[in-house]
Amino acid sequence: MVIGLLKLILTIPFVLILPGVLFQWAIFGWKSAFGGRKISFFEKAVLAVPFSLIIVDLIVLLLNKLNILLKGPVLVGAILIFCLVCFAAYQLRFGKKKSKKEEESEPDKTFDFSTWQAVFILLALVLAIFIRTAYLSDTIIPSATDLGHHMYWVQTIINTGHLPNYGMPDFIIGEHMVFAAVNLISGIGVMTAMPVLLLLFFNIVGIFTIAILLGRVFESKKIVAISFFVAGSLYAINPPQGRYVSGGVVGNVMGDMLIPVAMYFFYRALKEKDQIFVGLFIFSFAGLLYTHHLSAFVLIFSIAAVVILYLILNFKNIFKIIGEWLRLFLKPFPLALIFIFALYFLVIFTPSYFNPAAVGQATGEPTKNTRIGFSIVQIDSGVGSALLVLGAAGFLLSLFALKRKELKYAFAFGWFLVLFVMTWKPGLLYVNIPSDRVSNYLFLPLVLLSSYALVRYFEVFTSDTSRFFSTVFLFTLLFFVITNGLSDSADVFKAKNQFQGIMETFHSAAYLAATVDTNKDIILKDHVNIYGDSWYKLFFMKDYKYPLSRGVLMRYADPTKPRETCTRDMISNAESDAGKACFADTGVNYVAVNAQIEGNSFEKYPDFSKVYGSDGISIFRKD
Amino acid sequence: MSSKIIIIAVAILLIISFSVLFVIETKNHNYDYNKTWSVAYFENPRDNSLDFAIENHEGVAAEYGYKIFVGDDKVIDEKVEINAGAKQQISPVIPSERLSGNKVLIEVNYKSKDYKIYKSL
Repeated sequence: MVIGLLKLILTIPFVLILPGVLFQWAIFGWKSAFGGRKISFFEKAVLAVPFSLIIVDLIVLLLNKLNILLKGPVLVGAILIFCLVCFAAYQLRFGKKKSKKEEESEPDKTFDFSTWQAVFILLALVLAIFIRTAYLSDTIIPSATDLGHHMYWVQTIINTGHLPNYGMPDFIIGEHMVFAAVNLISGIGVMTAMPVLLLLFFNIVGIFTIAILLGRVFESKKIVAISFFVAGSLYAINPPQGRYVSGGVVGNVMGDMLIPVAMYFFYRALKEKDQIFVGLFIFSFAGLLYTHHLSAFVLIFSIAAVVILYLILNFKNIFKIIGEWLRLFLKPFPLALIFIFALYFLVIFTPSYFNPAAVGQATGEPTKNTRIGFSIVQIDSGVGSALLVLGAAGFLLSLFALKRKELKYAFAFGWFLVLFVMTWKPGLLYVNIPSDRVSNYLFLPLVLLSSYALVRYFEVFTSDTSRFFSTVFLFTLLFFVITNGLSDSADVFKAKNQFQGIMETFHSAAYLAATVDTNKDIILKDHVNIYGDSWYKLFFMKDYKYPLSRGVLMRYADPTKPRETCTRDMISNAESDAGKACFADTGVNYVAVNAQIEGNSFEKYPDFSKVYGSDGISIFRKD
Repeated sequence: MSSKIIIIAVAILLIISFSVLFVIETKNHNYDYNKTWSVAYFENPRDNSLDFAIENHEGVAAEYGYKIFVGDDKVIDEKVEINAGAKQQISPVIPSERLSGNKVLIEVNYKSKDYKIYKSL
């Protein structure tokens, strides 16, 4: 156990920090920035993780294209070679001139916090990590449905040494490569705490990526400090935070870390008119495209909204601004990166969702009730009342306080407005994706506006009289924010773990894997009432759809297309004519169900033998 | 300087958090640790053999009773002591002429819990 833990703790920095650090050395140098491109130690430390994630993905994609078997030593070598190349580039660019340039450039103080600010940030982070750890301690054995599906593909990469052909647009390769890389290097399996710990890592780094974005947009250390509390501690368990980590919503968790990074470079690129930042925006955006389609989709809408709003507010100079931006994107570094990523997308690896059918499914008029948008009440319960109230306050305050022609104004408003419309009335933007998935991204601009609201509040009320009332109001607001925002965390301590249920599921899966012939026998298991059932497929590693599964019942009623119903009928109505016909058609001869629910029904059916019975799971053989 | 302290402190906090969660997962990823359940199953579900096993994951050594019925007739009624975390394999001996065409039911019980498995031969 100790050796496994040590391997994991050493592998994570090697895979998810080292490449990003060296990459930044090659671009920015060791200490301060070169040629006016200011980037502080704090930002470099934060960006090391998302950069590493993208770099490791790109390395794995390249190795796969070169038909090099993905194994631990190969990955270690490839990462080290990348680091050496970056170090050589750093020496070439900064080596001899390093000390002189570092003396010339003034240290960036945007993230040089005062003692009390640092203490506040640390307390917020202690609370954030403590709440998440407490929550995850009851869910840490891998059992979540989404995580099980993802880990099947990760295990496929590990077993074959090659990237899989998904055959469906639901999965994106970037969701799986990093887990496979950590496994191949450390040897820590996917049916351990490893996947959840990596997601927790990305989730915590996500708090930092939001903070550096806020730091650059508002140029206020107070706002950055407050953002750690808002993003880290408020609703620390609700989606897209702790529950997405334990639930294995891999793409969203990575997306919530990468979107602020892309926005950060986009903001700095336009504000400081720097080609390096343009290039790094392209780099992070391409990384997101390889990682999560929905996050990339949301980012495209967010950037479009910011750009359009900024151009509208600066209508008189619109051609001048567009001309400047075009010149910025047509400089050598961005062009080189555009070329590299075009090569990657066209030649090395095209993401599975890059096809007209998948794009067509996500755009247009909403086709299902789950995609027509949320009411304000639903949005409130989704993102949390405290965050929504603070966000609204930030929206109003920034309306008066920010200069409308500044980029930060378009950032604060455009980002929030477009995500709000995508959640509330997606049809207005021809968005056809589940509203609950989109609503989770509202969290990002709301953190931005909420942090702004909490800090700027006092600046609006400056007179003694108004200060008294504003103080009373502030404390009332804070009481509401803290009680409401931490209410989900309080539930953590009432929760009971499901470890026994999960282990019973694993035992039944191991039993079937050891005794049946997967070339002849067809297994059907129940997703509705078996805990952690999606991990069944990892015991067989035969096919993504093996064993068959009775899914959530409402999924069988799909107004957009006919769905097969046999997997439902063979469990719900096994003795009906439809059920019997399904058994004959599919060849299913083993059924794993919850012992207390469907198990009792199956015991009454004369055509089945019961070959396995535990407290939680029964397995029946079709005679 | 403060930003360096924050980064280092978070690294330490994450290592502590990861260690705690890793240890919890490793300990609990076990059929026995803090669990109370049992299971009975046929050693080979694919054929008509009646060899079966009982696994004790109740956390303590336990005495399991098992009865075997052929059709409506009880042919075996035995008890078996199984240590915590252990598995007991049982190969019942029943004349083959009594088995053909019948349903063979094995009823395992521990305290108030019953585990039934059966095959139609």
